Amino acid sequence: MKTRILSYRKNFTLIASFVVLISVLLIIVLCVSYNLTKKAIDNEFSAAKVDVLEKTVLPYNAFFQNKIPEISFYQGFLDSSSAREYAQSVLEKYPFVERILFYDAQISNRLVQDGLRTSSFSIGLKGLYQYGLNVNKDSTILFSANKPGSLSLSNGDEFNKIGLKLASYIANVDTTQMISNDQIFNIFYNISHNRITYINVLRREDIKMYKDLMFKKMPPSPYYEQDVFSFELNPYKLIIKNTHPQLYQQVSIKPLSFETILDKPNLITTEIALPLAFSNFKLYLSTDKAFLDKEIRRKFLPVCLGILAVYGILLLLVFLIGRNLKVNQKLFSLQYDFINNFTHEFKTPVAVIKIAGNNILNANDLSDTELKRYGKILDEEADKLNDLMNKLLSFTQIENRSINVKNEEINIDIFSQNIIDAFQLKYSDYEILLDIKNVNSFQSDPVLLSSIFYNLIENAYKYANADNKFLKISICKIKKNIVFSFQDKGIGIDAKELNNIFKKFYRIQSRYNQQGSVGLGLAFCKELVTFMNGTIQVKSKPGKGSVFEVTLPYDK
Amino acid sequence: MPHCIKKYYFFIFLLVAGCKSSPKVEMLPVETFFKGAQKFNYRISPNGKTLAFLQVYKGKSNVFVRAVNDTARVQLTNFEDLSVRNFNWVGDNKLICEKEKDSTNSFSAFLINKDGTNYAAVKNKANTKSAILNNTIHSNNILITNNDRNESFFDVYQLNIETGLKKLFVKNPGNILVWFADEKGNVNLGVGGDGVNETIYYRATAQEQFKPIISNNYKNTLQPLGFTKDKRYIYALSNINRDKLALVEFDCVEGKESKLLYQNADADLVEVLNSSLNKEPALIAYEFEKRQLHFLNAKYKKVYTAISDKLPSQEISIIDKDEAELNFVIKASTDKNPGAYYIYNVDQTSLKKLSEVNPDIKPNNMSSMQAIRYQTRDGLTIHGYLTLPLGTKTKNLRCVILPHQGPSQRNVWGFSPEVQFLANRGYAVLQMNYRGSTGYGKEFENAGFKQWGAKMQNDIFDGVMWLIKEGIANPKQIGVFGYGFGGYSALNQVINHPNTYKCAASYSGYINLFTYIKGFPAYFKPYKLMLNEMIGDPETDIDYLRSASPVFQIEKIKTPILIAQGGKDSKVNVNETNQFVKELRKRNIAVNYILNENETQLFKNVDNKLTFYKQLADFLDRHLKPQ
Repeated sequence: MKTRILSYRKNFTLIASFVVLISVLLIIVLCVSYNLTKKAIDNEFSAAKVDVLEKTVLPYNAFFQNKIPEISFYQGFLDSSSAREYAQSVLEKYPFVERILFYDAQISNRLVQDGLRTSSFSIGLKGLYQYGLNVNKDSTILFSANKPGSLSLSNGDEFNKIGLKLASYIANVDTTQMISNDQIFNIFYNISHNRITYINVLRREDIKMYKDLMFKKMPPSPYYEQDVFSFELNPYKLIIKNTHPQLYQQVSIKPLSFETILDKPNLITTEIALPLAFSNFKLYLSTDKAFLDKEIRRKFLPVCLGILAVYGILLLLVFLIGRNLKVNQKLFSLQYDFINNFTHEFKTPVAVIKIAGNNILNANDLSDTELKRYGKILDEEADKLNDLMNKLLSFTQIENRSINVKNEEINIDIFSQNIIDAFQLKYSDYEILLDIKNVNSFQSDPVLLSSIFYNLIENAYKYANADNKFLKISICKIKKNIVFSFQDKGIGIDAKELNNIFKKFYRIQSRYNQQGSVGLGLAFCKELVTFMNGTIQVKSKPGKGSVFEVTLPYDK
Repeated sequence: MPHCIKKYYFFIFLLVAGCKSSPKVEMLPVETFFKGAQKFNYRISPNGKTLAFLQVYKGKSNVFVRAVNDTARVQLTNFEDLSVRNFNWVGDNKLICEKEKDSTNSFSAFLINKDGTNYAAVKNKANTKSAILNNTIHSNNILITNNDRNESFFDVYQLNIETGLKKLFVKNPGNILVWFADEKGNVNLGVGGDGVNETIYYRATAQEQFKPIISNNYKNTLQPLGFTKDKRYIYALSNINRDKLALVEFDCVEGKESKLLYQNADADLVEVLNSSLNKEPALIAYEFEKRQLHFLNAKYKKVYTAISDKLPSQEISIIDKDEAELNFVIKASTDKNPGAYYIYNVDQTSLKKLSEVNPDIKPNNMSSMQAIRYQTRDGLTIHGYLTLPLGTKTKNLRCVILPHQGPSQRNVWGFSPEVQFLANRGYAVLQMNYRGSTGYGKEFENAGFKQWGAKMQNDIFDGVMWLIKEGIANPKQIGVFGYGFGGYSALNQVINHPNTYKCAASYSGYINLFTYIKGFPAYFKPYKLMLNEMIGDPETDIDYLRSASPVFQIEKIKTPILIAQGGKDSKVNVNETNQFVKELRKRNIAVNYILNENETQLFKNVDNKLTFYKQLADFLDRHLKPQ
């Protein structure tokens, strides 16, 4: 069985390969999405023409579906003047209608001179009128029943066509059935090249009557009025509505036979046939390739940005993970150092104890002074060990928040003076000033607070030249906080080190630092202050001294 | 705190008490109004002993008889294919009956004894019609009309009541539409016409030719009723040289009115009943707000007073009577009661109920109809009827405006299933006799000429304004509904006043006046002239007709619409209606479209009728009831 190597692993290759992977992915995704966009634009180019067509023929459809059937509403009662009014409304609203012929027709079983007749059913013409923007007012009347035989063949053509359709329908109709919409379209409309001819739709009763006229021997019948309109249309006058100007540079109406111009190889074209009466024409839509490419880019840009944003987020994550790894590694080495230091720290008192022990063991005879000296040495070294262990223990406890904070009334003056007295007893050359302003007592945990005091006072002594062991402690209340300021005249701290001094196991490499320090003191202080909801700050000038300022909330 | 709770409870108590005090009007099903009604058509035998009547058997009307004094009835016919549409006594033991149109397009007739024996069919060719002209027996014959000889004209035949064989009696000279026989069996009077001009033809004796004695056009009326004792004179209703229809005696030789018998200053006469004994007019009815009677015969007045005492505050009409005028079949009804048939015996002064028209209708659940009148913007007085829903509330009601069809008809006071149906659903219903309606004289009627889409619509709208001014209508809950011309009006009302009406329902309403005009045989020149004057000339009044036709005014319609249409309605082109509906829907107007392909103008199929009224009620509730 292979044992897993439980050691610190370096992950930078992993991160690097991940970055390479997502970069490759980025390029692939960009390429694919660009192609998709291109394809989508190509599809849109050929599909959106339906939309253009629909919008362009909208007025034509309204004309075909509403305005033409309106003729039927008049039930054949239109005459030259009312037909003119109707025609005028058509010409004004629908510019693609160029000329309107109005055949004022009559159906009977009498003989007719101008018109058509099958069996005894005849469709005669009372008059033929034309209306149009280019039609002179005087030339409105093309034919009148007053002058029989004057109907020209070309003018009568449309009338004959629809008349024949109607007659053959009447000859074969089943009068019990209702006329369907399909039949209406097939019989009452005649749609040819650029022309729609329409006869007003018959009512069921009319059809019965006309069938009787056709097949029954009857006395001469009255004349039944029918209106036939023939509309001449001009497809070029359809107003083109380019609903997709970003796709089509040019939209025009061309004859069905029109071919793409070969001298423009970069022109992309598509076409769609116009409806019914315009079936010989098509809507021809064209665009320059460059124009379309621009559109592709325009569409692709937001997609591209989106992809890049995702890529950016991934990179940021990689960066953050990498940074964390780096920090962890540093921490790891710090802890390693600490164990080294700490072991070393333990080693000295243990070695002293060992030597003292050995000496006691090996000595044949120990004088009282010697015994006392060894006893003192053992006691002192045991104290040192105990102190070290206590420090380590409380530090771990604070880190894990497993200490219960006591809240006791502390008289600041007495509290501070006691600590100062202890230090001055210990270091006779230590000069400490105390300055307390507008504050007497303070609610806090005396043990934690004294830890902070001890550490800072100890540091101030430790990091000062032998002739300059000086500390000024100022305590004052500022707003809702109490500020403890420790100002020394020590060696000071380099500006670049200021950020690090509160880190665990961090020690400034200096000659003052050769022994007795594990680099926990300030970190411990910071942990304590944070634990007590306060802050700790430092200002320092190398060579001149440092000021540590501990701010704790006064009102809890 | 407890005080507050007490107060609160007190209010709840008030609320509950308030709810209890106003009686909840029970909503009756559609069937109650439109299904239950039955026609009985009672006829009493000349000797006053037997009653014959029509009753539905397996969905068709069949003939039944019963003795006046015994309720046991005998069924004479059991047709399951065609109904009997009319019948009459021939003597005391025989009946002649007319049937509905059969598969050969012919209306046949038959004779039958009152005990159901001796069934004798009158022979009929295809496409012909037999109808009873006079049922008095002269040497074993009665008179019928038939168009055997020429489909276009009716000749008078003598029908042998034993054999059922008919013999040509009077040959139609080719222009007579209606024949009149006197009590001796002579047929010397006829009325002809082309729908516009009406001509009366007369001959003094059977040997002479018929001669036209007077012609009058559509603006006047001369309606012969029958001969007087002197066969030179006839009784007639006439408004020639006067405004209101009056009862006159007309001299057929001189061709002019010889005597004014009765006229009413306010209203046209609507009915004249002759006495069987002296053959003279006995009773005249006219209708101003309610139907009123004028008696020319003291006996009739006595009979009426006696019946009225037994049936107080009911409208009584005589349905039939025997030869001796001792037994009268009457119908009594009110605005809340569709009525019942009774037989009254003059000697015993006894009144017996025969049957009810619609036993499902309980008069206490119905609403009363009151005659109202209002002024139009041009100072005309319009008469109408207002029906308020049951309940204590009389103000701020939701309303349905119900213009009548025609327009040459009128609303009358009496039971109307449609009005009661709407009132039962909580609507106040306003009906009005706008100008152009009949019954108020020819000037009022002719005032409607060429005003279909103009002043007549204003008259209807002035009624709405009156309702609002009186506080009866809630101005936010007014709808309009009508049939035929009423439907046309409903559409015009919402076209002209889209903010007043919340919805409109058109039942076979005309949507295009051009089509309406085309629906008449307009190739007759006089007919065309009449239509030109009454409705409008489709060639010269094209702008007016367009503005008066809803199909040209689609863009002005903003309110929800209900359209019910029969596919075979000759006054409306269904393709046009389809397009009308399609166009409205395209404009996002909610349209409830009911199309019954096989119906004509008025739905005959009971299911179609019920479906229509159900949908109508839903439609009105949806748009007029606060949600």
